[in-house]
Amino acid sequence: MKCNVAILYMHDYLDDELPAVQTAELKTHLQSCEACKLRFEQLKRTEAFAMSALSDTSTLPIAAGAATHEAGSDRLSERIMGALPTPSRKRSWTRMFRNHPAITVAAVFVLLMMTSFFSMWGQDTELVVSGTDLQHVVIEGDTVIVPEGVQVNGNLTVENGKADIQGEVAGDLIVIDGSTQLASTAKIIGQNREINQALDWLWYKVTQTVSGFAN
Amino acid sequence: MISIEARLARMALKGDQQAFAEIVGLYQDKLYHMAYRMLGNRQEAEDVVQDTFLRVHKNLERYDQSMKFSTWIYRIATNLSIDRLRKRRPGYSLDAESSEHEGLDGYSMLPSDDRTPESEALLSETQRTVHQAMATLPPKYKSVMVLRYLHELSLQEVGEVLDMPVTTVKTRLHRGRDFLRKKLERVL
Repeated sequence: MKCNVAILYMHDYLDDELPAVQTAELKTHLQSCEACKLRFEQLKRTEAFAMSALSDTSTLPIAAGAATHEAGSDRLSERIMGALPTPSRKRSWTRMFRNHPAITVAAVFVLLMMTSFFSMWGQDTELVVSGTDLQHVVIEGDTVIVPEGVQVNGNLTVENGKADIQGEVAGDLIVIDGSTQLASTAKIIGQNREINQALDWLWYKVTQTVSGFAN
Repeated sequence: MISIEARLARMALKGDQQAFAEIVGLYQDKLYHMAYRMLGNRQEAEDVVQDTFLRVHKNLERYDQSMKFSTWIYRIATNLSIDRLRKRRPGYSLDAESSEHEGLDGYSMLPSDDRTPESEALLSETQRTVHQAMATLPPKYKSVMVLRYLHELSLQEVGEVLDMPVTTVKTRLHRGRDFLRKKLERVL
């Protein structure tokens, strides 16, 4: 056997991977070759030293500020758990905003619109009468009266008050946040609407704006 | 049969922090020991352990259950350790005498918390020589030897962790062993 083959066998032997036949061959060679015998002894010791040096826990330094290995590893696990990102549930909630900026902007916009709209709706309690022909309309307190025999040409809108109709309204009668009282002689050519709900009011405002644009 | 780690990983994925803490408990000491043997520095070893778990946590959903959990976590820790070793000043050797500090070798310049009088006294002259020789092992040999001797992995398993064929593992192990033998010739 040549020495270079013997060296390969030595390593395989130390890896526990040398078959019995080859092990016997190696032993025969070592008996006759001093250089290989020395090398094999050195390799076996290197192996033992390396193994004990690597696996010996007594030479492991203890974490800073801790008295024992146990305390040191507790400290390290605390540090690890503390460094983890916050639980995914919380993260996904904020992630939704980050991933959909357009929807977020739209939602904020709608929210602002709604708040200003609702505050507007609740605010004014003054009586407002509007229409194209208000000459013959009589106002008593918060009541808007269209006397008998009188004709109002066009629409009549009453906000925050009562409408008492005894005569004739040629257009629409719209009452917002109030009530309507119709006498037997009353005649409304157009629509008669009462708006008390915020959403109705919104719809009314929107259609009014749109028809305003159309005109 | 699904391993306990795989089960814990699945729970941790659903946001169970306690399950992840269990995984940390199972592997933390092994990883610390391994990283310390690779780097020879307590602070860096702790950083590698923390980085390993952060990476595991981040990639839990990508954990492939056909691979052993230990193989996966050792692979991450080994790669992080090798990265750190490579980032150190190129050609920097602990054995090289520093020109600025006459007569001092790299060992005397190691962070002092790793060189307490107690730990010095615990080490025999031979052990110290062995540790010094270990510190000079090139990273590719060192990772193979650490996995093989510290975790008692088979050559096959070492190959899986390092993602290389068994023949390469063997070659590196043999070269590393020979490297150490030459370094230690004086005390053998």
